[in-house]
Amino acid sequence: MRPHTIPNSPFPRSFNESTHASSDPDAPTRATDGDASLARLSAVRKGYLNDDFAALFVPRAHLQPNRAPLINIGTWVRTIAIDRLVDQWLLRCEDQGVQAQIVSLGAGSDSRFWKLMAGSHASTLAKYVEVDFSEITGKKAMTIRKDRTLNGYLGPDTSPQLDNLSAGGGTGISSSVYNLVPADIRCPPDEALSALFTPDTPILSKTVPTLLLFECVLAYMPPSDSEALLAWFAAQFTDSAPLGAVVYEMFGLEDSFGKMMISNLKSRGVSLPGVVPYKDQASLPNRFTKTGFSRSQAWTLKDIRKEYIEAEEHERVSTLELVDEIEEIDLVLSHYAITSGILVPQGLERWFAWDLPKLQQGQV
Amino acid sequence: MGSDLDRQIEMLKACKPLPEADVKTLCMKAREILIEEGNVQCIDAPVTICGDIHGQFWDMLELFKTAGDCPQTSYLFMGDFVDRGYFSVETFLLLLAMKVRWPDRVCLIRGNHESRQITQVYGFYDECTRKYGSPTVWRYCTDVFDYLSLGAIIDGRVFCVHGGLSPALPSLDMIRGLERRVEVPHEGPMCDLLWSDPDEINGWGLSPRGAGFLFGAEPTKAFLHNNSLDLISRAHQLAMEGYKLMFERMIVTVWSAPNYCYRCGNVAAVLELDEHLGQEYKVFEHAPMDVRSIPARRPPAEYFL
Ligand SMILES: C[S@@+](CC[C@H](N)C(=O)[O-])C[C@H]1O[C@@H](n2cnc3c(N)ncnc32)[C@H](O)[C@@H]1O
Ligand SMILES: [Mn+2]
Repeated sequence: MRPHTIPNSPFPRSFNESTHASSDPDAPTRATDGDASLARLSAVRKGYLNDDFAALFVPRAHLQPNRAPLINIGTWVRTIAIDRLVDQWLLRCEDQGVQAQIVSLGAGSDSRFWKLMAGSHASTLAKYVEVDFSEITGKKAMTIRKDRTLNGYLGPDTSPQLDNLSAGGGTGISSSVYNLVPADIRCPPDEALSALFTPDTPILSKTVPTLLLFECVLAYMPPSDSEALLAWFAAQFTDSAPLGAVVYEMFGLEDSFGKMMISNLKSRGVSLPGVVPYKDQASLPNRFTKTGFSRSQAWTLKDIRKEYIEAEEHERVSTLELVDEIEEIDLVLSHYAITSGILVPQGLERWFAWDLPKLQQGQV
Repeated sequence: MGSDLDRQIEMLKACKPLPEADVKTLCMKAREILIEEGNVQCIDAPVTICGDIHGQFWDMLELFKTAGDCPQTSYLFMGDFVDRGYFSVETFLLLLAMKVRWPDRVCLIRGNHESRQITQVYGFYDECTRKYGSPTVWRYCTDVFDYLSLGAIIDGRVFCVHGGLSPALPSLDMIRGLERRVEVPHEGPMCDLLWSDPDEINGWGLSPRGAGFLFGAEPTKAFLHNNSLDLISRAHQLAMEGYKLMFERMIVTVWSAPNYCYRCGNVAAVLELDEHLGQEYKVFEHAPMDVRSIPARRPPAEYFL
């Protein structure tokens, strides 16, 4: 008996529909949003993360396969760490009786806004702004409009008339708290992000403590563009309110693992110019200290996993699936880091205490 | 049968999977041979010892280029033939066909991935159903897994095992006494042999893998001493340089999957033991990444993006 017809390709077609052949050089970079949202969905379904909204942003979510345990674990570590930095920012605002603004650049299909609105700090959020290419924000705006759960969180005053209030010809959303802004953040920020501080109807206030999130996005752009972007934000807030920023991405790609990553991503049309200046962990804070921020620190995902996550949480997660990728997990996680930067006006030095919370003694 | 087998080996070397009926016969023959072998298979030097392959078929051909063809070269593979890579079916069937063709020149011992449960998580099950349209071939292969030896001993001096030691198995004789023809258990002595790792700790420790143990220099030394051994050779852990000696050369990890998972960027190695048990490590790199080594339509190596 012959074997069942062995197809030339053992893999589903969608994998091969690689976008890099297309004429738009940014298409592969935008496609990374699919990786990020599928990884989030998988980590949620496997029980690593709690997120009722992640699936709403993935088309045909029920047909999507789960990711490898290593990917689930990395997504879990990174999400926990960024969640905590965000929480710490909001707690600090609450301590001081003020509200907070959050701006997520290259937000893609991120669900963090909805998680926050469903959580205990919702009333602390004055504004939540998401920026991405218009192709991405257009899709996201559509998803949000069509989904009652999602548009229910935007703010009572605007949700009934979303269409009238949407910016950018249907590729954005403006509501009392949530704003979705189409922009290419490599472009000069005065133009690309003018909507944020436009004199008549600014989205953001310069006197409210503001946190910038860059989850796996600066790596895709030239370092000079991301420096200009950070310096621009720093200039908006100097002497007016604390400005924090969180960058999550790969670094140290000059070793054999890194070279392989670069070549694998190149084969799907993705390049990582933003990673070039950051050869090791010690170099990561430079991105903030040279753009006007006062302080910065960096943690590798490998260290966060080992030193910042409670024993009970490790124990819980260890029961979720079989993991046989121990050395590989360390290898991969040691090439990703979270870097925080902060700029604080005179007299508000207590904001320097904003930090990734350490484990209490005996918690490890 | 001899010429049938030679034809099948040629087919497999071209990375063509065998028809289901041939797989069935091959697996039956293999079982007849393996059932006669001990839990700890005795082999003679010179022999070339190989670590994890994980379905990286074209890289295994690089291994053969580096260390020589069978039967001229005698081989010991320390398990983890399947899962992770794109060609677990072809990899395992080629090794199995070689075993049946040259039973005294090929020794296959069991890795923790030669298990029904693990292969359903890490790819071999999916690959079988994708390539054959049903899990039948996976069933044939996993039935063979239960017959694989748990370890090997070379000229009485070098103990080879996939993972490492078990606190419940201080002697080789105790390993010989295990009932091995079962699915790899979640815990216990047999599980430990396939899952444990050496580590810079005192005595024994809990494994982060959730199965097996960590063992330090002391238990290693005691095991060597009590069983009159010179060396433990094992696989199971990625070594970026292809091999890693530990505990003053009492134990070595051999890793034979270059650029593991098409992502890690590591080199691979085999350990050649000459007739005096002298060690030579031969390092090799992954096969060129052309269309041949990775299907044109493939899921990209996964990263956090
Ligand atoms: C890997 S995804 C991450 C998405 C999201 N931050 C997350 O972590 O789930 C990268 C995102 O950055 C966006 N991006 C990359 N370069 C950009 C640019 N120059 N302007 C705007 N968005 C950009 C992409 O479109 C994509 O949605
Ligand atoms: Mn293994």
